Amino acid sequence: MSRRNIRAVMRKEIQHIVRDRGTLFMVLITPTMILMIMAYALTVDLEHIPIAVLDQNRTKISRAFVQQITAGDDLDLYAQVGSIDEIEVMLVKGEIKAAIILAPDFSEAVLSLRGLPMQVIIDGTEPESGNFAVDHIGQRIERFIREAMSDQMQALGIPEEALLPIDLRVRAWYNPGLEPRVDMIPGLISMVLGFPALSVALALAHEREHGTLEQLMVSPIGRADLLIGKMIPYIFVGMANVVFMPILAMLWFDIPFNGNFPLFLLLSVFFLFSILSMGIIIGVFMRTQAAAMAVSFLLIFFPGFFLTGIFFPIAAMPEIMRMEAIFLPGTHYAVITRGLFLTAVGMDVLWPYAVMLVGLGILFTGVAALFFRKRLG
Amino acid sequence: MSEIEAIIQTNGLTRLFKEHRAVDALDLSIQPGELFGLIGPDGAGKTTTLRLLAGLLQISEGEGSVAGFDLRKEAESIKPHVGYMAQEFSLYAELTVVENLQFFSEIYNVDRTEVAERFERLLRFAGLTEFKQRRAEHLSGGMKKKLALACTLIHEPKILLLDEPTTGVDPVSRREFWEILADLNLAGTTIVVSTPYMDEADRCARVGLIYAGRLVICDTPMAIRGELPGDLLELQPEDWRAARRLITSLPGVMQVQTYGESLHVIVDSAEHRQPELKQALEDQGLGFRSLRSAPPRMEEAFISLINRLESEEGL
Repeated sequence: MSRRNIRAVMRKEIQHIVRDRGTLFMVLITPTMILMIMAYALTVDLEHIPIAVLDQNRTKISRAFVQQITAGDDLDLYAQVGSIDEIEVMLVKGEIKAAIILAPDFSEAVLSLRGLPMQVIIDGTEPESGNFAVDHIGQRIERFIREAMSDQMQALGIPEEALLPIDLRVRAWYNPGLEPRVDMIPGLISMVLGFPALSVALALAHEREHGTLEQLMVSPIGRADLLIGKMIPYIFVGMANVVFMPILAMLWFDIPFNGNFPLFLLLSVFFLFSILSMGIIIGVFMRTQAAAMAVSFLLIFFPGFFLTGIFFPIAAMPEIMRMEAIFLPGTHYAVITRGLFLTAVGMDVLWPYAVMLVGLGILFTGVAALFFRKRLG
Repeated sequence: MSEIEAIIQTNGLTRLFKEHRAVDALDLSIQPGELFGLIGPDGAGKTTTLRLLAGLLQISEGEGSVAGFDLRKEAESIKPHVGYMAQEFSLYAELTVVENLQFFSEIYNVDRTEVAERFERLLRFAGLTEFKQRRAEHLSGGMKKKLALACTLIHEPKILLLDEPTTGVDPVSRREFWEILADLNLAGTTIVVSTPYMDEADRCARVGLIYAGRLVICDTPMAIRGELPGDLLELQPEDWRAARRLITSLPGVMQVQTYGESLHVIVDSAEHRQPELKQALEDQGLGFRSLRSAPPRMEEAFISLINRLESEEGL
């Protein structure tokens, strides 16, 4: 290990990052940009879902019911239809996402407390909207029973609870509004920090493509010195993102940061070390920048998105996927970011994840140094 | 055979790429202070040879030593003593001339107290002093090559391995580059340089011709020129096409090479054939500006050798 050699490579790499606009953009602007785009794309609350109603009952009660269902911003009455065939046409054309069919004996059944004879049809090709419609129709039914029916029920001497057997009230801790972006954005930070790793992979492949690596190979520089010197500047630029993104999350998206900020910075350095080591491995094995790019998406971004538990709980994955998730730095960092943003946990809870990050970093750097030969061919 | 110990020595040096023998049983012996030229057609194995000597490629068979270190076992120990310039030597484009020198001085661990003096000397040497703050990407092709050489020289290597350093460089820069090499050689640096240009081969003390991975001939340029069988007649006809057709069929003519509008005719004996040729041309009414006996150059010798090898291979 020669500190002088490491410093020389570091200085050269920083000059490259600062002077090459493409690289500078990728490491400083892209992560924030992608974070913003994804935060908006993935956390938009659904509203104004168009539905159709086939009312076979046509009474005051059924009309009141339909009005109640479509009273809010969540569900819009697209059309009152006369037959089930019309519903099918509208579903196929995508004009509606769901349809409600009220049975001919709807009002009778309601008044005799036999239930609500109705059917909800959803577009299974778009289950998100369909499930949303079902949830909201359910909420509206509750309200219908409470508000529209209360007079009749009181007249009949029936307590409201008879129609509402269980009154479940859920309280979500740490994210009281259950807003998706509150837990999503801290998780997404780990994904967008894959860009510095992509940059380091590209930088190494660039040197190979342009022949400068050949020139380094004939020099006496140590393999590890070269790789470490190359990685450290990207940890610096990664940290610039790490400082900036929570501020953006707090000011722009109103997300709380409840944890310890210095601890967050420290653990972020660990994360950058391990994710950049993945980038270094890719740069060591890939001969061209195009290949490094493709493999980075395959090994850093896709798994970072699907396997680190940001969107899909790791506990729900098949065992082999869970094994893979353990080897992804993002998995551990997502726990850390959520923990620090939302639950304000400390090192007493987070230490296993910190250990995993450092361990993975050492493992990946070791593999990279082992397979990086100062020889061609 | 040699009194001084060779600084580069290889015995049966071979490099295989899959089945292909890119370098095939090469025996080289280069003395300290020698300026050695490697010539040969594209794909003959020049680059592979230089990469093997620089420790960049693993040896498949045979052995070699550079600066007293074994190529197989001590490749890393060789590196501080060797300056290697790849064919597509690429500088760090975003770095300035001085920053490139600075970088290489640090990875070669050049003594800090000597750095300033060496920069100044190398910049002057390469004619880059006034461009030292310019980024490498904005230099001309010739200046890039000279900066590359300066970076290669920053640790004052005993041995320089240069892979086609002047390919794609304009003639003026080429001349300047060779003058720099001559100075270095004079100062005692051993230089091994590969080149596709025959006039450059003439500037070397010794030349090795590589063909299909094998060292076909290794001698002084003078001796190689002497390898040309027969003598050379240089003819400048008015209609070279007709003249060529006629001459090829004449007795005693071994080979006709075309150089623009003139013909280089290799004959078994200039003394006998020159008058015969003149007579034949006059008989046919073919005019010519000059016909003279000329000393053979590397180029004729080289082409003649390659032709002979190719026809041997064809058999």
